[in-house]
Amino acid sequence: MSQAQTTSGDVNAEPAGGQGTRVPHLVRHGTLYLQIVTLTVMIALWEWIADRFDTVFWTSSPSGVLRELVSWAQSGQLASDVALTLTEAGVGFVIGSVAGALLGFLLGWVRRLGDLFEPFVLSFYTLPKVALAPLFVLWFGIGALNKIMFSGLLVFFMVFFTTFQGMRQVDTDLLANARLLGASRLQTFIKIAIPYSAVWVFAGLRIGLPYALIGAIVGEFVAADSGVGYRIKEATSFFNTAAVFAGLVVLMVISLAFLAILKAIERRTLRWQTIGETDATAPGEAHE
Amino acid sequence: MPATAATVASTRADDGAADIVFENVSVRFGALKAMGPLTLSVRRGEFLAIVGPSGCGKSTLLNLVAGTLQPYTGRVFYKGARVDGANRDIGYITQKNYCLPWRTVEANVRLPLEFRGYRRAEMDDRVAKALRQVSLSGFEKSYPRQLSGGMLQRVMIARTLAYGPATYLMDEPFGSLDAQLRLRMHTELLRLWQETGATFLFVTHDLHEAITLADRVVVMSRRPGTPKLVVDIDLPRPRDVVEIQSDAAFGAYFKQLWHALDVD
Repeated sequence: MSQAQTTSGDVNAEPAGGQGTRVPHLVRHGTLYLQIVTLTVMIALWEWIADRFDTVFWTSSPSGVLRELVSWAQSGQLASDVALTLTEAGVGFVIGSVAGALLGFLLGWVRRLGDLFEPFVLSFYTLPKVALAPLFVLWFGIGALNKIMFSGLLVFFMVFFTTFQGMRQVDTDLLANARLLGASRLQTFIKIAIPYSAVWVFAGLRIGLPYALIGAIVGEFVAADSGVGYRIKEATSFFNTAAVFAGLVVLMVISLAFLAILKAIERRTLRWQTIGETDATAPGEAHE
Repeated sequence: MPATAATVASTRADDGAADIVFENVSVRFGALKAMGPLTLSVRRGEFLAIVGPSGCGKSTLLNLVAGTLQPYTGRVFYKGARVDGANRDIGYITQKNYCLPWRTVEANVRLPLEFRGYRRAEMDDRVAKALRQVSLSGFEKSYPRQLSGGMLQRVMIARTLAYGPATYLMDEPFGSLDAQLRLRMHTELLRLWQETGATFLFVTHDLHEAITLADRVVVMSRRPGTPKLVVDIDLPRPRDVVEIQSDAAFGAYFKQLWHALDVD
């Protein structure tokens, strides 16, 4: 049993950290198979119950939902509805995130400013923001702008708070050390504080992402003439349960796609966190 | 007795080549008299070790030189000028690891060079050289979390070497390392000291470490800390960190310093 002694030719060099544990092939894929089977069983059960107990009015049925999806797609409205809702949520997400992160960085960094504004921001935070939806109709009309602003508002608060927290967690010793290394105050902000709080910013983005969609959908519920949310509302008023479920399925797919994109960006940006062993303690979704 | 033991104020205070001068310096934290009054000077290129009981203001001395702390009374001079504000001419190395976890080893060592506005090509040269000096070539692309404690400490040293300060302030830099690794780091440190010709202020509570490395050892009294004893370590250089411990004079120095420390 000879272990490789060195990596660099330096005899006493300590071996670099673990390579991460490999999940055995069967176990990893076994879970996936099991998940597929579970999903299939659930869908089959849904179909069976709807048929057997005649609950189609309330629960619809997978085949009914599928039919609705197909006809929705064939009418060409699915594409335009999805495009509209995606645009509203997407633009809202970007605006809300950028504004939230920038303000979070600023108020988190300039402590006095942060202390000054914290109670005001907090009182807005505790307000159930859905209640603002009608007001937004008044301000921004019933078009896409209304939904963009509303979803942006929801995302803003999520991203702002986590970023703000993250900036306040920045290790002050690290900053003092950077000063001795020759950093200006601006350099400590850009090279130390911002990357340091990146983990929190991403946590905020992850929490904020579903809110982008919520904002767009609620906006469409309140006042709209197209979009996935509007279709759901419309279908409800016609008691078309299958179409309602079709809308929900589309929303689920959209949010999963969003999350996948965000994860990919996060993996690239925070690569240092997952390299080597995986005992990093990310702040996760927890608010303080 | 192997050495000339100077008393409280070193006679070198008015030495022409003094790099760092503490002149009647005392430090308070609120009502607490933390240190001083103290007068001491450090020659250019000297390796000065400071030992003493905890809380005696050893680290305070380094902070005064770094400019992160202002004295309550007295003055601190660095290369003839009074220290006020962060002193960028020094390298400060402590037990704490200040590596940025999102930067690779290479990028961590490059950090002070970025702060100081070096050109790209010169940065690369300096980083490569510094990593070679601490035997970390080959780990450029590793992230801090992939390294052991000893390697991280060497990254910290490399980061300081990269911008080549004239003075190294070291606050128990090897305190968290095991005995074997410590000895190895001592060898490397002595080599660096010789290569760079820099002034070293080295705070430790380990007398072996102090005697092995230093030209002069200052023993501080309990709080408020003042120099109780200053001993010249006249052991030949270059030193072998293992061999030196069996030197008869080494034991005598140890005894002398130990008694001065007056540990209960």
